[in-house]
Amino acid sequence: MAADSDPETEVFEITDFTTASEWERFVSRVEEVLNDWKLIGSSAGRSSPEKGEYTSGTWEEKSQEINFADFKFSITHHYLKQDSDTSDLKEELEEDAFPLAMQDLLCMNNDFPPRAHCLVRWYGMREFLVISPGTNCEAITSESKCNLLLSSVSISLANSGCQVPMFVQIQQKWRRLYAGECQGPGVRTDFEMVHLRKVPSQYNHLSGLLDIFKSKIGCPLTPLPPITIAIRFTYVLQDWQQYSWPQQPPDFDALLGGEVGGVEFGKLPFGACEDPISELHLATTWPHLTEGIVVDNDVYSDLDPLQAPHWSVRVRKAENPQCLLGDFLNEFFKLCSRKESTEEILGRGLTEEEGKENTDLSAALSKLTEPAAVPMSKLSVSSMVHSARKHIRRHRRVDESPLSNDVLNSILLYLFPDAAVERSSAATSDNSEGRAAPPNTGGRSEHDKDSDYNLFNQLKSAPSDSLTYRLALCVCLVNFYHGGVRALAHLWQEFVLEMRYRWENNHLVYGLASGAPDLRCCLLHQKLQMLNCCIERKRARDESRKASDGGKERERQLSGGGENGRRGPESATGAGSGAAREASPGKSWDSWSDSEDEFFECLSDQEEAAAAKEGEAEKGGAGSSRAKPPDGRLHPHGNMTLLNSSSEPLYIPVTQEPAPMTEDLLEEQSEVLAKLGTSAEGAHLRARMQSACLLSDMESFKAANPGCSLEDFVRWYSPRDYVEEEVVDEAGAAVLRGELSARMKIPGNMWAEAWDTARSVPARRQKRLFDDTKEAEKVLHYLSVQKPADLTRHLLPCILHAAILKLKEEESVEDIPSVKKAVQQATSHASKQLRHPNPDHKKLEEVISQLVAVETVIARARSLKAKFGVGKAEAGEDSEDLEKFVSSLLEEPEVAVLGAGRGPAGSIIHKLFVSAQRAALLAPLDDDLVRPGGGAEDRKPMGGGLNMPDFPPPAGREILLRTCVPRPAPYSKALPQRLFCVFMRDDFRLAGALSSDTSFF
Amino acid sequence: MASANASYGQKEASDQNFDYMFKILIIGNSSVGKTSFLFRYADDSFTPAFVSTVGIDFKVKTIYRNDKRIKLQIWDTAGQERYRTITTAYYRGAMGFILMYDITNEESFNAVQDWATQIKTYSWDNAQVLLVGNKCDMEDERVVAAERGRQLSEQLGFEYFEASAKDNINVKQTFERLVDVICERMSDSLDNADPTVTGGKQGPQLSEQPQRSHQDCAC
Repeated sequence: MAADSDPETEVFEITDFTTASEWERFVSRVEEVLNDWKLIGSSAGRSSPEKGEYTSGTWEEKSQEINFADFKFSITHHYLKQDSDTSDLKEELEEDAFPLAMQDLLCMNNDFPPRAHCLVRWYGMREFLVISPGTNCEAITSESKCNLLLSSVSISLANSGCQVPMFVQIQQKWRRLYAGECQGPGVRTDFEMVHLRKVPSQYNHLSGLLDIFKSKIGCPLTPLPPITIAIRFTYVLQDWQQYSWPQQPPDFDALLGGEVGGVEFGKLPFGACEDPISELHLATTWPHLTEGIVVDNDVYSDLDPLQAPHWSVRVRKAENPQCLLGDFLNEFFKLCSRKESTEEILGRGLTEEEGKENTDLSAALSKLTEPAAVPMSKLSVSSMVHSARKHIRRHRRVDESPLSNDVLNSILLYLFPDAAVERSSAATSDNSEGRAAPPNTGGRSEHDKDSDYNLFNQLKSAPSDSLTYRLALCVCLVNFYHGGVRALAHLWQEFVLEMRYRWENNHLVYGLASGAPDLRCCLLHQKLQMLNCCIERKRARDESRKASDGGKERERQLSGGGENGRRGPESATGAGSGAAREASPGKSWDSWSDSEDEFFECLSDQEEAAAAKEGEAEKGGAGSSRAKPPDGRLHPHGNMTLLNSSSEPLYIPVTQEPAPMTEDLLEEQSEVLAKLGTSAEGAHLRARMQSACLLSDMESFKAANPGCSLEDFVRWYSPRDYVEEEVVDEAGAAVLRGELSARMKIPGNMWAEAWDTARSVPARRQKRLFDDTKEAEKVLHYLSVQKPADLTRHLLPCILHAAILKLKEEESVEDIPSVKKAVQQATSHASKQLRHPNPDHKKLEEVISQLVAVETVIARARSLKAKFGVGKAEAGEDSEDLEKFVSSLLEEPEVAVLGAGRGPAGSIIHKLFVSAQRAALLAPLDDDLVRPGGGAEDRKPMGGGLNMPDFPPPAGREILLRTCVPRPAPYSKALPQRLFCVFMRDDFRLAGALSSDTSFF
Repeated sequence: MASANASYGQKEASDQNFDYMFKILIIGNSSVGKTSFLFRYADDSFTPAFVSTVGIDFKVKTIYRNDKRIKLQIWDTAGQERYRTITTAYYRGAMGFILMYDITNEESFNAVQDWATQIKTYSWDNAQVLLVGNKCDMEDERVVAAERGRQLSEQLGFEYFEASAKDNINVKQTFERLVDVICERMSDSLDNADPTVTGGKQGPQLSEQPQRSHQDCAC
């Protein structure tokens, strides 16, 4: 085209004029693409697709950009991926077989595929090419442009011999208007389309369409070969009449009204707040009719949906319906990125007051716990908690406090149920000594524990009956319902206060497994366990002191001065009231800790009593051999006797427990050890640092076994380091002779050295290996400096744990296999993230959205089950089928209804439509007014109702007409012809594929 | 303990040059030869009697695996019953264990099951374990047949070696095999973007270069 204007004088070199113009270049570009994609040559010979293969198979597409001058197009190849079993078939091909696409026009196996490209639905092809304007390029709206493109298509198909149909998208994208063509040997199919807003009334029914089709074919034969017809009407149900969405958002206002047990706080909410299933689409299909069997014209229709031989249903799911658990998790997770400290949130004044409060409180407490003033047993935890809080509130105006009294009370009661028990037991009797050791584990079955164990171990959270776990639930709930981050900060402040109270008053923290911190749990849980360890030690010490107060004069003398042992109940000393106490004169070694408590007292008074009794008994015999009487004996070590005096049994001493450690302490310590390096001195120093426990054990051993030797100690402590040999003595008798192992005899070795420095001191008089006062203060300080965001991060594993448990619980009711798998995946994903010391924010977000997705699926299943009445009383094979039907609705795009309108599911669907109709049509008296005029809705109501149809007017009607007739001349080959018609509200489309013989016309 | 490395890096500059760090624990009854085994491997020395370990001690050895420097921080533990609570605290965070018994001591072999339970309870569930029967030079005093060791290792799902720290038999092989097993496990897990193998504090080192480790550590 460009050459037209140029006079010939300008041609000064030889040019290939076949690609001179933009248009020619475009055509050859298209051909190149076809070549590149190997779409050249016959495509025929492949077997026709299986029934439903268009849905079950995978569709693929590749695309490329091509230019027409400076106008961008993209050419896309869509195809159904098929196993390539075509190679051997190809040989038997007839020369002039129809192209694949033409055969597909007539194939009835994949009419109305539920999920496919619109061209697939309209023309039934499994492979095609589309040229459409590139992104940001204007649509092809002029007819000449369209024709130019179609000519290009025609030329490139003819040049290349490609048999894949090629389409051009014209008009605006949303109109989905395509024109195209397919070429085969001596045949051609033209794809044409009509798209209108309104249906011309003469074509608004089957007979009208048949007229169009026939006139388009223009077949000269009489009688015309039969036309096969497939029809599908789609009905939409949006109004779920008799069914109201059962999810009642929990009534949290009730909480504020008082009378709330702990139950609410232990649970996470669940379920969707809106119906996660928004619409139901019923497709009634007549898959195979022939002209004349049914009548459908402007006055009468045979097409009653109830009579349709085939029904299928799909549901439209609400996009991201609001789900309670998901909201909870997301809101909670958002807190992780808050930066404010507790003071900033609650206001500085408040925390300062709180500081004052603390000193006030402990002063008040020390008054209360003055020896003999009030017996410990009279103090109930609950009353203390309450008084502490009242105190705070005095400083704080009521409306300032983010958490209302009632809510806070019920949360604290939920967190610390021991306080409630006490309150009632204190009322009935004064015998509260029994609650000294609250049950630390709830009564849960072994099995539960097992699966729970796995989960908390995996997620590094905490056992689901632990305080930490319950705290996490409360924090989450408070954040969501009771005032967000301010309320959370308030709750945390109260919690820390309660912890301090418990420490100062020797009340074990309820709901934590006893013993050393469990390193498999989250750090916060470990810290709380640590606090409990401290309380336990302190209490044991106090109790043994009390016991010694009770009647052991001997103890008093031994303790040297009697001051240290008797300070009455320990409770008031926490904050430093003991600073005035002087150090015990007997202990000269430098203090390991800055605590004033010099002595460790043995664990329980029974032990001590037993040991004391032993001591008494021993006094006569053993006392003679050594000035110091034996002390701190636990029990004899088998039948062993001391080597020096074979009559004296070897006693295992009461020893100090090694210090419990949380993971951060452990990390710190191992770093310190590692820093000493690997040299010999480093190793020696390390051993020294760790010898405190060995030394303490040696001292206890010496105290329990007066006159013992290192050999005796080793026989108990490290038996393999005492080597016994049978030797024959002078008299000829076999005698056992033992000695220390070679390594114990190394001069100056750690063990011998320690043995020499060890003095005979029973465990309870030794310096404490574990300074509970210091550790408890450290824990309490740690707790008090945690910002709300820190707290959230600490508790996140517990919340995820709780959410997973909740999902599992809900799933077990519904039994949805895909959910089971999804929960497992989410769990392992979460597990991987949470084990990392600093989990990735993004990844955790993913975990949460996985959990939310699971919740949504369950909510959908619930909604569907409720709608179809699954799980209601009536059992039988019907209900089983129904259940299967409902679960496949969740997982498949479209589900066939067994028995169509007469099956169990069909009749339920029918009823749903009937009641929706009734509601829609009865409410306004004059139902003609509601009927929208014109279009598809104008037609006569279908269904057997008297004056009210069972079904609403179909939202969509699709009619597919097919035949195989010679065209354009009677002597042409018989070729596939097809017309697909779609009627929707404001959308009428005819998509015709008309083939003609290009050799004989 | 990468952080520790950074802080004492000046003094021991060589320590800083590694791509990965594995923390390994040697456990087993008292006087089965854990310390000797470690000294043989780390220092290639042997002394008939080492002072009985108090608490926990460690040595470092850097090895090369597929062009990667791997620093092994090997913790040696006290075997005495009394030290159990102290040493088990260190189990978490260890990527590999060498569980040792003495082939001349029945009791130490009988305790293997116990130790295995301890590992299961206190370690990460993907920690790798090798069972080693030490002192195989003392054939005359052997009381635990090699076959029994093998059977037990199969039952526990651990790999098994008989070794001698004294005669330097299988010492290096044991450690190298353990490193290989950890590497395998690591590349498996990295496929699934598993941060756990990188182990607690070592995390940063490994997660900075997951790709590399994935390719190279599939030893």
